[in-house]
Amino acid sequence: MWLKNKKGRIDLKGLRFTDLLITIMVGIVFGVIMKFWDDLYSVIKPIMPVARQLLYGMWFMVGPFAMLLIRKPGVAIIASLAGASLSAFIGHGFEVLLYGLVQGLGAELIFASFRYKRFGIFVAGFAGVASCFAGFFLDLFYGYAALEAWALFVKYGLRVISSFIFTGIFAYYIVRALEATGVTNSIRPVSKEDYESLN
Amino acid sequence: MNLFDLFTPHKKTWLYKVNPAVKFVLFFALFMIVFFNQHYQFTMNIMIMSALLLFLFSGYRLKRLLLFSIPIVISIFSTAVTMILFGKGETIWWQWGIIKISEESFYKGLLLGFKSASFGFLGLVFLLTSRPVMLFYALMQQLKLPAKFAYSFMAALRLVPIIIDELQARSNAFKVRGVTFSKGIKGIFERLRLYMLPIFAQSIRRAQRLAIAMEAKRFQIGADRTYYYPTTYQPIDGVFALLLISLSLGAYFLS
Repeated sequence: MWLKNKKGRIDLKGLRFTDLLITIMVGIVFGVIMKFWDDLYSVIKPIMPVARQLLYGMWFMVGPFAMLLIRKPGVAIIASLAGASLSAFIGHGFEVLLYGLVQGLGAELIFASFRYKRFGIFVAGFAGVASCFAGFFLDLFYGYAALEAWALFVKYGLRVISSFIFTGIFAYYIVRALEATGVTNSIRPVSKEDYESLN
Repeated sequence: MNLFDLFTPHKKTWLYKVNPAVKFVLFFALFMIVFFNQHYQFTMNIMIMSALLLFLFSGYRLKRLLLFSIPIVISIFSTAVTMILFGKGETIWWQWGIIKISEESFYKGLLLGFKSASFGFLGLVFLLTSRPVMLFYALMQQLKLPAKFAYSFMAALRLVPIIIDELQARSNAFKVRGVTFSKGIKGIFERLRLYMLPIFAQSIRRAQRLAIAMEAKRFQIGADRTYYYPTTYQPIDGVFALLLISLSLGAYFLS
């Protein structure tokens, strides 16, 4: 019943309720981890400006990570928004909601442009970089980006590198390790090979 | 004093009776205006307005509110300083090495500081006077947020204490066993991996069991449903909307 979409066709790629709950759960867990990360980040913030930007990729990890895990359309943006909602609930205010939404959208667009068929290191990394650019776009309006050219280049250059490392390399290998635990088997879309193996 | 007492108001003011969905939409709209606005005087007025809302109508004692405001005041300085020192600008007031304070960067810095303080105060007013569960119920009933999103969120939020416990248990286990990590970027990966792997494996299984249990109890996507907490529009919502709009217009015309 839950496998059918609105037109009554069997829908192998759409989000079931289980997938949705897991996606939101992944987002919320990231929200908690980001809270601890934020404490670390706040300590480093004033004394080590370069290290601080290199740790920034963590904020972009949630969307690509959820997508690598669940591999269904809409997952990156929902997980990113869920993570942001938790941050908003514990007192980071409305701006994290907007950033979460836009950064999730950035990552989602990259996966969508590969038609949700490629989930390698590079696609995941680019999704993170797209999140980073989406965040930069908001920073322009917020006013964070009106720096001297050299400062702008250093700040966002380091951030792009960091987002690739966190969402490409780190997320990819952690999801690979999660696959080994077997939890992803029941949530990924059913593939053609799975059907053939039944015959 | 435990954490729960800290967030219990002295008295429940009229702001508590405003429909949380209405409050959320209006605050979010105001937030968007402030976010995209580039005029520091207007932003300062909005900051004062949100601080007034917090101190007059949140129903908390002054001492408690001052305590809550400390991080917001710090954020004004921490966001303003980088921009003032490294922001771009033509009319230079003072220069020393790579530090350059110009008229433009100074006002830009003030703008940033006031913006972050406005968001801080607005967020605090909203959080202190609304209960998360009621927000989701109001979003479902007044704004037609699909029930699958609202209930997933509420279910996942309930599990946050378990996640925090698990993280702390792991942190303690590493300490007891004397786990050491490499230096630099590799160490960060090792840490992330050791913490995230079990947390996610557990959380995914837990979420899956929860979803199956909910569906077994006939929770259906897209089905018509009734709500345990009915929420409606009230006259007080209109009063709140009028107050917020007139204060914002006041802030605009005074700038």
